[in-house]
Amino acid sequence: MNKAYNIHLVWLGLMLLTVASYFIGELGNGGIVAMIFLMFAAAIKAFLIIRDFMGLRNVSLLWQAIMYGWLFVVCSGIAAAYLVSLW
Amino acid sequence: MGISTFLDWKETSVTIMMSAIDSEEPDLLPGDLAIWFFIFMELLVFGIFFIVYAVVRINNIELFNEYQLTLNRELGMANTLLLISSSYFVVRAVAAVKQGDTNRCVHWLYAALAGGTGFLILKSVEYSDKFSAGIGLDTNTFYMFYLSLTMFHFLHVVLGMLILLAVLIKAKYAAYSATNYTGVETAASYWHMVDLVWIILFPLVYIIR
Repeated sequence: MNKAYNIHLVWLGLMLLTVASYFIGELGNGGIVAMIFLMFAAAIKAFLIIRDFMGLRNVSLLWQAIMYGWLFVVCSGIAAAYLVSLW
Repeated sequence: MGISTFLDWKETSVTIMMSAIDSEEPDLLPGDLAIWFFIFMELLVFGIFFIVYAVVRINNIELFNEYQLTLNRELGMANTLLLISSSYFVVRAVAAVKQGDTNRCVHWLYAALAGGTGFLILKSVEYSDKFSAGIGLDTNTFYMFYLSLTMFHFLHVVLGMLILLAVLIKAKYAAYSATNYTGVETAASYWHMVDLVWIILFPLVYIIR
């Protein structure tokens, strides 16, 4: 029951972060702060999908390292490229 | 304390300790292991694609920022909400089959497929607008990335839906149960990957500038 309840919250959190990301994009004209917020929001959403939707919370560290490592490399690579472009 | 009480206590303690040790063992990856190698390869390809997009943008900032504004961000957001909800429905389908409730599993899979269908319809509307405006892969670098990235993802949504449909049909014919649900988990894992990729793609291509 608790697990199902948590899944509802995860879904709600993902929906709210998506809507928030959209409005941040609509309000701002870009820039470092908006970029960092949007990448951070995307990383949190991806983390929740890997952990709670894919159900990798309790799998071995190797599988978790591959998935979270992919997320870290992709998000930091994109953020680094955007920081260079804003420099 | 009598001998029998002590032995009962000891047995209970050992049982608790053993269950604690068991619970510390990591879970296996959900679904078939083969699908995970496929998922890792897909993620690698999409990851490289995303970083190449961001790097190419460095020397084309004005172009990317100008043409990004021509994209329909409302449809992009709606599609994100659809995919997240569809993924959530698949989580519920897996939970249902684990409880042995295959009927409820089938219903959640229908809901997930409805979400995927909604995504494909909205994406087709988006493409239709762009193609009718004469936009194609050779229009400029931004549109080349926009069309190739989103179409590549579109094909993955179609494949994911075919897998979900196959599992749904099998579930309808009672092929799964509370002790046999690997097929449902395998399809679910692939569908979540499709969602995961879009979660990065949406802000990257539609919003961040």
